Order: sequence, then structure tokens, then C-alpha cells
Amino acid sequence: MLKLFLWLKYVRRRRIMLLSVVAVAVSVALLIAVASLFTGFIAAFEHSAVEAIGDIVMRAPDGVRFEKYPQFIQRLEQSNLVEAATASLTAEGLLRIEGGNVRPVAIWGIEPQSSARVIGLKDALICQGKAAGEPSFAVPDAPQETGGFVGIAVLTKPDEQTDQYDKEAVCKEMLNKRVVLMAGTMELDAKGERIPHRSTIPFRIVDIVFAGTYLLDSSLVYVPLDVLQKELYPRETSPVATSINIKLKPGTDPDRAVEQIRALWRTFATNELNWGPMAVGLTTIRTSRQMQRLYIAEFEKQKHVLEVTFGVISFSVVVLVFCIFHMMVKLKQKDIAIVKSCGAANSSVIGLFVGFGVSIGVAGSGLGAALGYAITRNINEIEGWISILFGLKLWRSSVYMFSHIPNQVDWNSALLFAALAMAAATVGALLPAVAAARTRPVEVLRHE
Amino acid sequence: MYRLILITRYLLKRRITHFAIAAVALCVFTVVVVMTVMIGLVGGFKEKNHAFVGDCVVGTESLVGFPYYEEFMTLVEHSGLVQGVSPVVKSYALYGTEITDNYDNVEIVGVDPVRHSQVTNFAQTLDFNGHQPQKAFVPTYDANLPGCILGINRVSRPDPRGQYVHYDAPFRASVTLMCFPLNAMGALVGAGTNPTVTKRFYYSDDIHTGIAAVDFGYVFLPLDQAQLLCMSGQEKRINALYLKFRPNVGLQEGCRQIAELWRQFQADKAGAPNSFLLEGVNVQSWKEYRRAVVAPMEHEQLMLSMMFTLVGITTVFIVFVVFYMVVNSKKKDIGVLKSVGASNTGVLSLFQGFAFGVGLVGSCVGIFFGWLFLTRINQIEQFCYKHFGIQLWDRTVYVIGAIPNQVDPSALAVIMSCAILACLIGALVPSYLAVRLRPVETLHAGRM
Repeated sequence: MLKLFLWLKYVRRRRIMLLSVVAVAVSVALLIAVASLFTGFIAAFEHSAVEAIGDIVMRAPDGVRFEKYPQFIQRLEQSNLVEAATASLTAEGLLRIEGGNVRPVAIWGIEPQSSARVIGLKDALICQGKAAGEPSFAVPDAPQETGGFVGIAVLTKPDEQTDQYDKEAVCKEMLNKRVVLMAGTMELDAKGERIPHRSTIPFRIVDIVFAGTYLLDSSLVYVPLDVLQKELYPRETSPVATSINIKLKPGTDPDRAVEQIRALWRTFATNELNWGPMAVGLTTIRTSRQMQRLYIAEFEKQKHVLEVTFGVISFSVVVLVFCIFHMMVKLKQKDIAIVKSCGAANSSVIGLFVGFGVSIGVAGSGLGAALGYAITRNINEIEGWISILFGLKLWRSSVYMFSHIPNQVDWNSALLFAALAMAAATVGALLPAVAAARTRPVEVLRHE
Repeated sequence: MYRLILITRYLLKRRITHFAIAAVALCVFTVVVVMTVMIGLVGGFKEKNHAFVGDCVVGTESLVGFPYYEEFMTLVEHSGLVQGVSPVVKSYALYGTEITDNYDNVEIVGVDPVRHSQVTNFAQTLDFNGHQPQKAFVPTYDANLPGCILGINRVSRPDPRGQYVHYDAPFRASVTLMCFPLNAMGALVGAGTNPTVTKRFYYSDDIHTGIAAVDFGYVFLPLDQAQLLCMSGQEKRINALYLKFRPNVGLQEGCRQIAELWRQFQADKAGAPNSFLLEGVNVQSWKEYRRAVVAPMEHEQLMLSMMFTLVGITTVFIVFVVFYMVVNSKKKDIGVLKSVGASNTGVLSLFQGFAFGVGLVGSCVGIFFGWLFLTRINQIEQFCYKHFGIQLWDRTVYVIGAIPNQVDPSALAVIMSCAILACLIGALVPSYLAVRLRPVETLHAGRM
């Protein structure tokens, strides 16, 4: 009770104590915001990969293509692991939009209906995303023509100031436009020599893709799987694909599922396709997280580097708390002497100041966590205001991949930083508390 | 004089002052290290981009290009402004090799190697023909074959330390390039049949610029070959002219004069065949031309500076607390000083001078340890990698060599000024409180 009374008195009389609360709060808020931004970015990166390619991707070895894939997909979907699977054919190419406007693109041959069940295709389509039914490449009023979807950043640039796309304008200008796609493969000729085979695919843009991930929006072109197959591999008589994209049933562990899918594939490829063990072994089956592992590891490393940097600077909070408590002990020596002369033990005096330090830490961490939460949740608005007030666009999708700054609070990091801040405040208060405990009442009170 | 004596005494005798110095030193140390690395990275990247394109670029974004460039080159060369002009063809192509089935996208750059070396650092970045750029497109294994220069990542991969395997001479390898050749109207040449051109080139050299996009995705071709591959029509066309100014010509002034020359040239060419293509040509300094790649790094630097400014607030708090304590414990000194005639300004300057001293000593200590750390930062990283497998940047992912550790004196001056300013701000309120002290109150018997 006495401790509480003294703490309240110190806070009321010595406003400077509030400074330590503010310092702790600023450090905690900054660390939470930085950690949340990085964690959110990594999560968004992983999520965008899942949305773009599915939970698990099977890739055929270089120069080999999956045959009879519909049967394998059927087997996958019959297993208790897979919710849906779809085949795709990928290649790099050049898209000529008009005149001298040629763009390098990544071509995806897909079956839109089955793909929509595996990847986040429908939500990313500007026009068909809002409409009922499954996505389709059908060209309105010209069913004989080939249709395709093109990433929005392939067709236009975002506004320099706002980094937003004028979707209405780009749809108006580009929908139904006839463009030409070029891709190439190497073929073996009659003599067994590799000769280049070039393919040109004219198609009409029937929808525009806005996934919110610049890497995809600036490179993706979707065309019908059968059309791409016919152009790239005209000699193939049955359907072929280079990848099989898989969406797992909810709650399925992707890492364990990979092993089970590998076993399924081994059986199928050996029995149905007559593949040898080498070709089976060269087929890559990986989760989308495994495919991004190298980059995610680097992002996490950069996050830790920044946390350590700010953590070192935040060490000055310990110094600040120490200074304030040192000052308080100096100024309140008479209080301490009276308390001790009334019989308080050294441990009680230490407890008084350390407890006060902990309280400062709790208050600062709480305030910092609230501030960090507010900053993180409103980071897009804050960035928008900075852009309006100073004309400085800090976040661009072309630089940071995503059109929005991730704004989910990383509560694990927040709790860790709050705990560390409390520990820092306690450590800062410890030495002055010991100094207070060593106060000798007879020396301090003799003038009285 | 008394102020100097008191400041020195407070700095040396008041142990609490040492905490303020330590806090300032800690902040300065961190800022010096982080900003030196960041400034080094940004500065290095800018320098590489400058060296890659020269001082000024006269060019168009359209892949159709513009004609009559040879006449304009003559005009520019006679202007006395430039020491070199290099015509450049830029386009995209599909790139296939003898060992893979699929083609990927590359950016092709057609140059005259001798001219280009006079304007850019082209020759210095070549692996084999740095001393004789005229032979850069001549394969050593067969001088009759058409040569090409590949980005180094197309022939070699960096090890974890960022080092590439270098060969004694280029090995025999061919690449196939496919392009959309465009006529002056921007239409595809041969439309209706197969509007693409395919040509095989042989590896004659590789280029290592330190710019990821170039080292990964560029293929250099002889200018005339690139023109054949990408363009067709009566007049030869290019996409850009890279210019290098004479040493006595300033960047802005040089660009302004070239822009003026271009306007006159454009007016003179009005009415000539395909002169409409000259309308889309811009004159830009290298900074404007490469803004899209350089600006994001500058933004990163700015954001980091803003975050450190926020963290620096803690230092202001610490200085405030320390000075508040000093003023509280030195009331008698202040009373004596004022009673013997020291003015309010004198007392204010005493404490502000003291704050200046704290800032100066703190920042000198921080800078010294920062410099000490930076001189050994690469050895520390190597040690960490060797013993713990920890690297600041994975060199297989980032095109970064050694960690930049060249301390920038102007940045140090800014950091030191900010630290001293933070101390002066932190000491402002305590100084004001000291000024307002009345000798009669601080010196009366009760207080003595």
C-alpha cells in the first residue's frame, strides 16, 4: 500500500517520470511497427505465391512434359489430401501490344475453370471477378477467336503520385484488343539436332489481371492451355503440361502432403507413363513456401538486422530509466531515510524502486503496443498523408511488390518487445534501487 | 572563462553526464554504421548506373526507334560538348541455348563496342576484351561467327562470397535470339506469315556491371546485327544515343544544350520520311533516365533516416533528464554565479555550452567506434560466415560485393550536427529553468 502511495506521489510530483514512459513507448512502438511490416510482407509474399501457383507445385524435368495428366489429377483429387488440382504450361515470351510497345511476359497456359479452383485467378480478374460463374477465355461475339488475360502492369503504368491504376480507363482501352504473343522452344529435327521453334499466338484481351502483386501484374499473360500446347509443342498428340498446381484440403500439412503426393506420382509415372526412376526423381514436387524459401530467408534476415539495429538504439532506454531513477533517488533521499528509520528493510526499498521501474515498463510497453498497433493498422493512411503533405510516395508496388503496405500486427513480436521493454526498465531501475537501499538514515536526517 | 571551467568540471566530475555521453555515442555509432553502409550501397549503385549509360541519353521508349541518328551524332560531335556518342538499339528478345528446351526473356542491346566504351564503362566491365573492345564481338574460337556478349550470370554463378568463376577464354556456345522486327510504322514485319526473326549468335565475352538487371538479363549484340534483328525499313534506326560530356561541361547545362540541339534538328527534319518518329524522343540526364531504378534505393535511405530521427528522440529525452538533474543539484552554483553578476544569458550559455560539449564528446566517441567497426566490418562478416554461416547479404541472391565501409565526411558532419542539436534541444528546458532561478531563494540559510 505504501509502495503504491509513493509511486503515485512520484508520478504526480515528478512529471519527468512520464518521460521514461514515453521513451519506452516510442521504442516499443517503433520496434512493433518495423517487425509487423516485415512479418506482414513475408506473409503477403507467401500468400501471393499460394494464390498464384497453389499450395504445391509439381514441375516436370527440363525437356520433359507430363502426359496423361488428367488421369493423375483425377487420382490426386480422389486422395484425401487434395481439394483440387490443375495442369498448366508455362513459358516466357514477348507480347506485342501495339506499335513499338513490346513487353517481356510470363505465359501461362491454363484451363480457367479448373485453375480458378486452385489459384486465386477469379478474384484477380477485373471484369469477370465481379461477374457470376467461372472465368472464361471466350471472346464475346467471336467464339472462334482465342482470348487471354493480361496483367494490368503489362498494359499500363500506375499513377506517378498515387501508385493507383486507372482500371476503368485500361479496361476501356484494352479489352477486346488484339495482341500478339511470341514464344519459343527447341525441337529435335530429323538429324537429332536442336533447332529453334518459334510460335506466335494472336489473341484478344478478354480480361485484365490485378492480383495486387507487382511481380505477377507486370508479367503474367494467361492463354488457353490447349492453344499454347498446340503452338509450343505441335507434334504432341495428347494433352501435355509442364506443371501441376495443387490446392490442399483445409488443415492438410503441406510438407507431409508433398511426401504422399510424391509416392502417388512415383506409382503413376512408373506404371502409366513408363518413366524411369531418374525422370521420376527429377520431377520437383514442392510447396509454394519451399519454392520461395531463399527469398523468405533473406527477408527474415533483413528483418532481424533491422530489429537488432533498433534494439541496440533502444538500449538507450535503459540509460534513460537509469538516469531518471538515479535523479529520483538523489532527490528523495529523505523519504527513503524516513521509510528506513521506520523499520523498512533494504529489500523493501529495492522492491519499491524496482517495482516502480516495472510499472514504468508496463505503462510504457502498454502505451507503445497501442501506438505500434495504431501505426501498423493505419500505415497505408499514414503513407497516403505523407504523400499528400510532402509529395513523397514512399511505397510503390513496383518496388515493394504489393499495392498495399501489409498492416497486420505481429503479436508474437509485439509481446516479445513489450517484455523486453519491461525488462529494460527494470534493469535501468535496479542500480538506483540498490543505491537507495544503501542510504543511511542517520546521515540523511541529521540536519533535521 | 568561468563557463569553460564549469563546463569542463561538469563534464569530468559529474558521472551522470557520462551516461548522456554514452547514450549519444551509442546512437551516433549505430547511425554512422547503418548510414555509411546505406550511403555506400546507394552511391555505388548510382555510380554504376551513371557509368553504364554515360551522362546524357537522347532516346525513345518505343521499340520502333528513330531514324537520322547519324546526322544528329555528327551535329553533337561538332558542338564541342561531348567527348563521345554511342548509338544504341534496345529491344526484347527470347533467348534459347543449346542445353535447355525453353526460351526466356532478355533485353538485347545493340552497340558499337568502341564508341560505347568511349561513353560508358563498357570496356572495363568486359571479362575478356577489356583492353580491346573492338574484338568484343569476335569469338576467339571462330572469328567468322557472329558474337554476342552475355550478362555474367548467364555463363557463371556467384559463390556465396559473390565471386564468379572466370575462364581463360570464352567457351564455344551458341544462343538463339528471337525478336519481333518492327517497321517504321510500328507494324510487325512479315505479319500474316510469321512475324518473328530468329538468329544464332556465339558467346564471345561476358559483362559484369554490378547491376543485377544487366548481369542477369542483358545480351549485347553488334549494332548492325541488332538493327537487322529488331528493325526494318529504309532508314537505319536506333532507340537511344548515349552521350558523355567533356569534363568542362556541367550535367544540367550539357543536357539543356543537347535538348536545344535536338529541337533544332527535329525542326530541320520536319517533312522528311518517318520524321514523326523523332517526336517521341526525349533528352534526359542519366539521373532522369535511370530514375526508375535509382529512386527506390534513395527512398530506402530516406525512410531509414526518418526512422533514426524518431529513435533519436530518446537521446533528447536522456539529455533532458541529465541536465534537469544537473540543474537541480547545482542550484547553489547558479545562485552564487548570479549573485556575483552572471547574467541570464551567461547562465543559459553555460548550460547550452555544456550540452554542446556532451554532444561533441558523445558524437566523437560514437564516430570513432563507428569508424573502427566499419574498417573491420567485412572481416567480421567473413568471420561470422566462416564460423556461423551468417552473412549480412546472401551474395547468391544480391549483387553486392564487399559491404561498403567508406565513411562519408559530409554524412559524418550531418550526423554530428544532428547529435549536437539533439543535445542542445534536450538541454533547452533545464537551461531555461536554471536561468529562472533566483539567487535569494537558492542561497538562503534554510537551503544552505
